[in-house]
Amino acid sequence: MSKIAENEGLVVKMAEIGVLQHVGILRTLLGSCVGVALFERKLKLSGLAHIVLPFSVGRDQSLGKYVDTAIPETIRQMTTLARGAKLSLTAKIAGGANMFSHVSPNNLNAIGEQNIVAVEKVLADCQIPIVARHLGGTFGRRMVVDVESGLVQIHVVGQTVVQF
Amino acid sequence: MNSFDATQLATLTSYFRVGTSDASRALSTWLGRDVQVSMEQLEQVSLEFATEQLGPSEETVCACCMRVSGGVSGQLLLGFDDASGLMLCDTLLTRKNRSTDWGELEISAAMETTNIVGCAFLNSLASVFPKSTSDRGLSQNPIDSTWIPTPPVFVRDYAAAIMQFALMDQACEFDSVLVAQTQFAIEKMPIGWRLLLIPDAEVLQRLARILR
Repeated sequence: MSKIAENEGLVVKMAEIGVLQHVGILRTLLGSCVGVALFERKLKLSGLAHIVLPFSVGRDQSLGKYVDTAIPETIRQMTTLARGAKLSLTAKIAGGANMFSHVSPNNLNAIGEQNIVAVEKVLADCQIPIVARHLGGTFGRRMVVDVESGLVQIHVVGQTVVQF
Repeated sequence: MNSFDATQLATLTSYFRVGTSDASRALSTWLGRDVQVSMEQLEQVSLEFATEQLGPSEETVCACCMRVSGGVSGQLLLGFDDASGLMLCDTLLTRKNRSTDWGELEISAAMETTNIVGCAFLNSLASVFPKSTSDRGLSQNPIDSTWIPTPPVFVRDYAAAIMQFALMDQACEFDSVLVAQTQFAIEKMPIGWRLLLIPDAEVLQRLARILR
């Protein structure tokens, strides 16, 4: 994946899900939230969920907001785009930072970490292997997904771009 | 969704405007120039748009953050782009040449400014906020007038990543968040600073009951 223009691609905002096939760019900005990118390589199908919190606890609004609803919903949207074909999915995940632990209320200190644990559990339950990850730390990330190649770029302010 | 109606939002807006007026005075004294902090509006916005309150999501911005506890808990942020933030430092340090990087001195100046404007804003809000429903002839859910901010913390990161942190407590409870939008001007010239107070979800629920 070569350099991507600042405004290129579909921006997946907080609690949203984006799905594309064949070509295109999906991008999102992550702090304590976790970005889950799912890939079906044969069909060149990709989905990106920007997940805010671990568990929906029965809430059925805003499916993209919670790990336990966002991942199944992303799979559902990808399956619809694939016209019901059986998907063989892999995942690349990023985010889950703890940016301001020193000024966060105690119950929010570990939200990033809780998001990561929940994502790993739900992906395992769905039998989707995680093939790459860029998690934790105290900084934000720009996650950019290239649908055609299945490559993901992670941009961090002041650091070299990571691609996997 | 949060449960503020138009009348409650108007009442809260009037409180916040008193806060920005006092913040203007404090900042003018601190900088030795006429500074106006004005609050455009208080509004409930959905999560996906709330992350753009400090600027476009992917823009690198700076923010000084103070955690507020006591009567009202939440996050207070003074945010600015590099140019606007460094201009503040140059003004404070009476530099003739423009600074181009964030060094220890510049960060310290930004944090001290946040301390001054933030405390003026919070003190003012604490004095005008309804202390309890008894102010309105009822008698429960008091809001203590002691609001305690932590020392500020400086961060330079993507705008959306900073806002995600600030919004997280409200995001745990609601699909929309309450945001006060402010504008700054030095001697009537608009500058790219933003002051945001983002109360915790529990405070919003209490305020909604008090202002009922």
